[in-house]
Amino acid sequence: MKKALTSALVAACATVLAACGSSGSSGSNGLSGGSSASAGGGATVASKLVLGGSPEFKTRTDGVPGLQRVYGVTFGSYKTLDAGGPLTINALKNGQIDAGDIFTTDPSIPANGFVVLQDPKNLYAAQNVLPLINKAKATPGVSSTLNAVSAKLDTNTLAQLDVHVITDKQDPDAVAKGWLASVGLNKTGTAAQGASIKIGSANFQESVLLAEIYAEALRAQGANITTRLNIGSRETYIPGLKDGSIDLIPEYSGVLLQFFDPKATAVSSADVYAALQKAVPAPLTVLDQSSAEDKDAIVVTKTTADKYHLTSIADLAKNG
Amino acid sequence: MTPPGLTAPPVLLHHAPTAGLAVDSSPGGMFSYFSDHRDEVLNWLGYHAWLSAVPVLAGLLIALPLGWLARRYRWTYPPLVTAAGVLYTIPSIALFVAMPELIGTQILDPINVAVALTVYTVALLVRVVADGLAAVPEDVAQAATAMGLTRRQRLLKVELPLAVPVIAAGVRVAVVANVSLVAVAGTIGVPNLGQLFTTGFQLSVGNPYYPPITLGIVLCVLLALVLDLLVVGATRLVTPWRRAVGGS
Repeated sequence: MKKALTSALVAACATVLAACGSSGSSGSNGLSGGSSASAGGGATVASKLVLGGSPEFKTRTDGVPGLQRVYGVTFGSYKTLDAGGPLTINALKNGQIDAGDIFTTDPSIPANGFVVLQDPKNLYAAQNVLPLINKAKATPGVSSTLNAVSAKLDTNTLAQLDVHVITDKQDPDAVAKGWLASVGLNKTGTAAQGASIKIGSANFQESVLLAEIYAEALRAQGANITTRLNIGSRETYIPGLKDGSIDLIPEYSGVLLQFFDPKATAVSSADVYAALQKAVPAPLTVLDQSSAEDKDAIVVTKTTADKYHLTSIADLAKNG
Repeated sequence: MTPPGLTAPPVLLHHAPTAGLAVDSSPGGMFSYFSDHRDEVLNWLGYHAWLSAVPVLAGLLIALPLGWLARRYRWTYPPLVTAAGVLYTIPSIALFVAMPELIGTQILDPINVAVALTVYTVALLVRVVADGLAAVPEDVAQAATAMGLTRRQRLLKVELPLAVPVIAAGVRVAVVANVSLVAVAGTIGVPNLGQLFTTGFQLSVGNPYYPPITLGIVLCVLLALVLDLLVVGATRLVTPWRRAVGGS
């Protein structure tokens, strides 16, 4: 797991370097930035910008308070939109916000040329995709089926599947089936024979897709599956899991840990997972995590990044 | 203009754009969207019809005695009608979410929506029933009494039937209002046509994606028309004298 995280970070750094290299042609380098030249009483870059994100991001430990605590970044104002969904993305595109909390696998980031600001101080904890399930339903056969899915799923795969669903408008169920077939997890078996599981999803397309992947993998193993997709946010579906309305939902390790334990400090993938296993309340449990990550990121448009020489969240605290 | 590595997050470096795949994002794409998602959409339509119609029937059954009470004992009219008006101002999403706490159901149970919409229907119909009964001409009521009908007979055989057209007008409003209110419940994961709006909106990243949204609107309108026609038909059935007099 640690290896996956490291390689993701290395890849991320490579992107930054590429960005710096090309913006160098316009006469300035993002890292050494001419922005500090204007230091001496000027306002910070962030104070001139509007941040947009989900309602919970405004108060979440690693949200607006985290930006202030870790980077000393305070935005001029905060617009409450959605969790990296169309509201945030379109607002960023239209210039109604200058920076948005968007998820790293979102296909609209490359599609719109948005710039993901680096997070050198690891404000954002690991966010590995994993199944959150009612313990009573996690029979050995069900667990092994879902663990086999997690073993095959990585960040790159997830991002590509997102493109099929969000950009190409393909049916999430069809995309799920196609991917399972491509990794050999569609072979029928009897591992989950007799299990009856209600699978839910949050109200964004990646969650719907992951729920369909779990559903089709379990169906192939003989489970009786019903789906309840687009349930809404954690505040709705976690109670739904506890009261038995649903039995299983795809989740992300870091935010889930913060949901159950707001004071959690774990950052690395392995630490977050270990802490999460302890923090998940009965009757729920988490199964193996996949290496696929979909992290929060502070994202700006290329124009904004160029104008203020931004490559990292830390750059927002400079005077500009 | 920009090299591919510049804008893509690290994870997407190897991904080739898929512009070759033609996606019909125009409203006309709803037909192919429907054929691609037929089972799912029909399932949502079924839930939507159920969630729109059942609360109206339940609400009517509750509103009839309350409306009668407001008419029979005049002093109860202001508090009953005011309370009903206040109920109607509760935002639907708040009521849907609060329902499990109030009636002890599971949070994702569609019954929450059915009960909440019953509350709205009652709120709409209490006044309508009371006013409908009040609209029965006094001389007709007196004639009924003169013919020897008891209070109960007079209510069931004369006043209530004569109030049907007024009450039915209220029911038509309630049923159509319910069709649109049910869609709100799509945002909290209750299966219904509102899910088409949620899905369409989520897929409208960058460019609007109309097919599911248009399909949802068309099906909601059709459903409202059908339910409205049913109410009109039922009203005609229980008011045969109006057809005889109308002669049309």
